Amino acid sequence: MLPNRSRTSVLVFLLPPLLLYCAAVLFPILQSLFLSFFSWNGISDMEFIGLDNYVRMLTADDIFWRSFFNALLYLAICLVLQLGGALVVASLLTSLRRGRELIKTLYLLPAVISTVAIAFLFVRIYSIDPVGLLNQLLHWIGLGTFERAWLSDVNTVLAAVSAPEGWRFTGLYMLIIYAALIAVPKELEEAAVLDGASKWTLFTKIRFPYIRPVWITTTIMATTYGLRGFDIPYLMTNGGPGQSSELLTTYMYKTAFTSTDFGYASTISVFIVIECLVAVGLILFMLKRKADS
Amino acid sequence: MITQTAPATPPAAVVPPTPAIPRRRRKPSLYRTLSRVLIMLIVIVQVYPLAWLFLTSLRTEHDFATGDPFALPSSLTWENYARAFETGDLGRNILNSFIVTMGANVLIVLFGMMAAYAIQVLGFRLSKFVRGLFLIGIIVPVQIALVPLFIDYSTVNLLDTYQSMIIPLAGFALPMSIYLFSSFFEYIPRETYEAASLDGAGPYRIFGLITLPLSLNTVVTVVLVNSIFIWNDFIFANTFVLSEDLKTIPLGLQNYIGAMGKVDWTATFAAVCVTITPLLLVFLVLNKAMIQGLESGATKG
Amino acid sequence: MKKLIRAAAVAAAAALALSACGGVGASSDPANVSPTGEIKPREISWLLSRPADGAVINIMKKLADDYAKDHPGFALNLITTPDRPSYIQKLETLAAANKLPELFDTDATPFAQHLAKQGKMVDAEKLLKTLDIYDDYRPGALDYQRFDDGSLYMIPFQFELEYFWYNKALLQKAGVTVPKSLDDIPAMCTALRSAGITPIAIDGQDQWPLERYVAYQPFRAAGPEFVQKLKKGEAAFTDPAGQKTVEWMAALGKAKCFQDGFSAQGYSDAQNQFTSGQAAMYNIGTWELPSLATDKLNSAVRDDVDFFTLPTTAGSATAANEFVSPSGIGMAVNAKTYDPLVSDFLKFALAKYPAEYAATGALSPTTNVQTTVPANATPLYKKALDTADTLGAKQAMPWDTQLDPTTNGRLQQELVLLVQGNITPEQFTSTMDSTIKQNAPKFFK
Repeated sequence: MLPNRSRTSVLVFLLPPLLLYCAAVLFPILQSLFLSFFSWNGISDMEFIGLDNYVRMLTADDIFWRSFFNALLYLAICLVLQLGGALVVASLLTSLRRGRELIKTLYLLPAVISTVAIAFLFVRIYSIDPVGLLNQLLHWIGLGTFERAWLSDVNTVLAAVSAPEGWRFTGLYMLIIYAALIAVPKELEEAAVLDGASKWTLFTKIRFPYIRPVWITTTIMATTYGLRGFDIPYLMTNGGPGQSSELLTTYMYKTAFTSTDFGYASTISVFIVIECLVAVGLILFMLKRKADS
Repeated sequence: MITQTAPATPPAAVVPPTPAIPRRRRKPSLYRTLSRVLIMLIVIVQVYPLAWLFLTSLRTEHDFATGDPFALPSSLTWENYARAFETGDLGRNILNSFIVTMGANVLIVLFGMMAAYAIQVLGFRLSKFVRGLFLIGIIVPVQIALVPLFIDYSTVNLLDTYQSMIIPLAGFALPMSIYLFSSFFEYIPRETYEAASLDGAGPYRIFGLITLPLSLNTVVTVVLVNSIFIWNDFIFANTFVLSEDLKTIPLGLQNYIGAMGKVDWTATFAAVCVTITPLLLVFLVLNKAMIQGLESGATKG
Repeated sequence: MKKLIRAAAVAAAAALALSACGGVGASSDPANVSPTGEIKPREISWLLSRPADGAVINIMKKLADDYAKDHPGFALNLITTPDRPSYIQKLETLAAANKLPELFDTDATPFAQHLAKQGKMVDAEKLLKTLDIYDDYRPGALDYQRFDDGSLYMIPFQFELEYFWYNKALLQKAGVTVPKSLDDIPAMCTALRSAGITPIAIDGQDQWPLERYVAYQPFRAAGPEFVQKLKKGEAAFTDPAGQKTVEWMAALGKAKCFQDGFSAQGYSDAQNQFTSGQAAMYNIGTWELPSLATDKLNSAVRDDVDFFTLPTTAGSATAANEFVSPSGIGMAVNAKTYDPLVSDFLKFALAKYPAEYAATGALSPTTNVQTTVPANATPLYKKALDTADTLGAKQAMPWDTQLDPTTNGRLQQELVLLVQGNITPEQFTSTMDSTIKQNAPKFFK
């Protein structure tokens, strides 16, 4: 704590952001929480139904559970692509001497393209009739047996919609991790190299521990954005075929705005909030334990 | 993020750089070649879509409808751009998106910094609780806030204004910004503040003279990240904006949708190319500033 | 802080309760279609879901400008959201906040019926009768807008007929002819497939095109009443008509009637497959006449394209001249803001609209004007328009405007699985019947 601070100064700094936050985020969340105990279609009178929505969600809704597990798998794929990809590229970049700036910039490009265009492009890439890029590539390299309609096959669609989302933001996380990596003191690395450390030991023993705080931040960021993923699955497949690519967020959106069941949609979003809290808690817990051991 | 790279002023913690460590062994190792190839491949994967987008925006409608979408176009045309400008008010859309993005960014950066300063630097009894409160906002899905927000805005007459887009966009981005700023502030050594305090500087002067100038890198990062999301935001704009004059780019792109969902794709792509250009430019500039900031942070000490 | 949260929760409750109740009872009498009083020009808004540069919007803009010349201060603010799902989200949020504008678009959905029941919409039948233009409308165009109880709250601005467009050359190549019965289609697809031709191009992404197919067999077997009963749970997919359509859809899938990976292909993709001569058939309405029956159509297939109407089946309950003939999304008039000005403007605009609309080469929802065939049209254009004059009394309603939205969403998803062969007809039947049982009571009580 700053010695010279006063109560007023804390309020001056804290109140404006807190007010904005309450008005734009907290208050609507509370309203949602409140709505989750009601049955309301937006235009009729609200009807208090207690925990009925929660009971229905947890015990009687097969789509809900399907979307929940889909969302977890979607998250896993996004995380591997975003964090794994980011780490690999960032490490590779540090070994490069020229052209780093250019590559960093190029690498970020997908993030600026609107999701509508991305969804449209990937639908074409995955297409089988007419043959899309992915199937063409598979054919060329002799893996013709794997050719398929990626977005129509219930077994591949979830991975197929996760990939563009993961790919889109890899560059962003790469930049963050790269910034941390170049800050690793060269002396530490030099010393380790003199000690005969391999590239791998160098990475696991020196670099990674050093960037751990950044890594945690990035993981939390990627996880929460992953759990909030919406646009791309919504635009590419609208959750289909069947419920194969339905996520909790798309399901909630449909429940609210297609089924006009605002009460039940609020219940699902309360669940998403809890799910995200648990996820972040777990990440912090696991990383802490790993650091302690 | 960026965090520990930043402590620019103080002291022995940051070691003087040894720019471009000279390596004696110069043999092109397998590792190096492999990583070059890998990087090139990845760059192709990342750049290809943008190139494809641009090429498609130059295709004729007929070529687009009948040809292989991945082959080079048989002939190029600027007609799609003409159609794009004819159908939509792209200039207006870009201006609106710019206003919204800037407005939200100012709030996000300023308020994010202030809150982080109060929580992390000033500190107070309930700071842990407030931090937790803000954390909720990182993880809540925005979609469910739509109906309550809409009702709230209609009661206070905020619908169909720039503010109706800026406030929720800023509100939902604020937690992440606070989080980034606080984790950055953590790395500004206590001693810096204590020294300034001993010199008689109050919390406002410390904020203006120490915290703010030191945070520039983080500011750029926060702006960069948020601009990407806000520039392409569809859901808030679609919900809160009614009049043509306030439509942002993602709403403007809807004008290319015809009857029963038929889309004039080549014109849409032309419009997409036009509308991402400003973001791309800002982005290139910011990107450079960010890298410079980072490197100066590491070398100044 | 706790106190703050508690206070916020209470306030939240109050705000929502207020806005939820505020709408009911506040509106004026929806049956009063000729309000008295002075016409005070002001700006009115129309929330609509039509193409931004389409005929309806262009004409209404022009008519509004004409009206404003005599009524300074009047303006019509057209707020369009062409993408239908985004539009519905917007409409529902506005309805929930009780902020619907003077005019708004909606299909005859259960949600719209709720609005009508609450007295939020002006009775369109009375309105049209008072304006003395009710009899000008095609009965089919009005019927499409009606709720099940026969009441009319939306005014149509279009009239379309849905046809099966086909490529004569491709059919000939595969040695097949135009199907006489719906039941011929699976075999026809098999023949086309073995000739290396995609039988039917379909826009799977937008869901409604596939949902059209599930409506055909019951419409032929049991007439338009089937879906009206089905949606309320009074009929089921286990009924003969229901089983027929389930089996038929599965057969279509098995015969690989639709292009591979159709579920992710969009509107333009499907049309391009047909117009580039890759697909033999394409099921679409007359709103595509400019693309399919003018010189804009790819010259390679221009002379080979023709259309047939929905085939019948043995023992059909409906006739060959009865099929899907939608009059598009309708316009509802907000009862709360209905006043002499809105009334007067509608009187002005609705009287002039048909002639302007027919001049663009489209079918007017009224019968008092002659559609102008564009100069660049192929002979098919006129043939398609003329079919409108020979329509029977019944029409096949698209199911997406009939079923409750939850059931509809589930049906769209399950249909793809059924056609792709991911689920059996039995699984489909039981899933859908239990979905209807669960949701119908909420929407049709």
